[in-house]
Amino acid sequence: MTSNIEHKSYTVEAEKRLFDTLAENLKLPFLTIARSAELATLTGDLSQLGTIESVSDSALRLLDNYLLSTRLQNAGDDLILEPVSLAASLAEVAHNLETLAAKHNCDLELHIAGKYQPIMAHTSGLFAALLSLGQVFISAQSQQVHTKRSMIKLATHRTRHGIVAGMFADVEGLSTDMLRRAHQLYGKSYNPLISLSANTGAEVFVADSLLKSMSSGLRVARHQKLTGLAATFTPSQQLALV
Amino acid sequence: MSSILLVEPDQTLASIYKKALEGLGHSVVCRRTAESAVMALDATPTDLVILELNMALHNGIEFLYEMRSYPEWQSIQVILHTNVRKTQLNSPVLDRLDVSDYLYKPTTKLTQLQESVEAVLQKKT
Repeated sequence: MTSNIEHKSYTVEAEKRLFDTLAENLKLPFLTIARSAELATLTGDLSQLGTIESVSDSALRLLDNYLLSTRLQNAGDDLILEPVSLAASLAEVAHNLETLAAKHNCDLELHIAGKYQPIMAHTSGLFAALLSLGQVFISAQSQQVHTKRSMIKLATHRTRHGIVAGMFADVEGLSTDMLRRAHQLYGKSYNPLISLSANTGAEVFVADSLLKSMSSGLRVARHQKLTGLAATFTPSQQLALV
Repeated sequence: MSSILLVEPDQTLASIYKKALEGLGHSVVCRRTAESAVMALDATPTDLVILELNMALHNGIEFLYEMRSYPEWQSIQVILHTNVRKTQLNSPVLDRLDVSDYLYKPTTKLTQLQESVEAVLQKKT
């Protein structure tokens, strides 16, 4: 009984911190919308309407992902996972990131090493998490000073623990220590993920929350000399029974 | 016309502020990181820096320390235009770094930013 209460307290604390991170993060899109509208009023520049639209869409997605993550987390043992093709999910994410990557001068590369059976996951949660991560990595790459065009790999590889999938790039300062400190600081610090984001990094923590409901949660991983954030998934055993 | 360096990590916001300041007749260079901002100061004579403190990798305070360590950049005015609340800043440190004005970004309109820029640049002349 005591351990249930402790667990519940921890979960409430974690939810509160995620909410605080999200709230701080959402100041930026609202600020952008307000200043875009003000600029349009001052100058008559209606191209700001495009900015307002895209920033609003992005903020809505983040809110939606946050709500999905709380729903999946609260489902607990009742959450139904299904076999999902990781290759297909990553391909769909890559397709959805193309426009943003082009805008930020980044190349995307899909790297699925070998053939994998499906993994057990929540389809829309997985897609939302990987898409969020991709957006963060693209933005992070464009902030770093590069002499050549930057590259982001959407990649998988197998380990003895399962199938690892995530985003990998040449990101300065991304390390296990940095991520551990970020987990201690989120909800309290303005930019706990200092290598990846000038904002609170809510997209990463929401992605982490989504992935924890179906996998290991995010950790720093390496893929072909690149560093990134990835989660480890359990392969589906369904085909193994055939 | 004055030369302004806008240090703002968000590309979209930077574009908005740049247009608002160019509307006053100033030339504006935008940079998203502390490192690239230092390189920009080195490349172009600058009258005023408008600075966000929260940035990836190195923050605005680190940038300010770096900037104020060079004698040739002592006369450059600085406006802090940031998400960090004033109550969370160390005032004596800011005084030492010779900051001309502080604007809390979430509640500062473009017209207020423009007024602050004009006031600070006028003080310089």
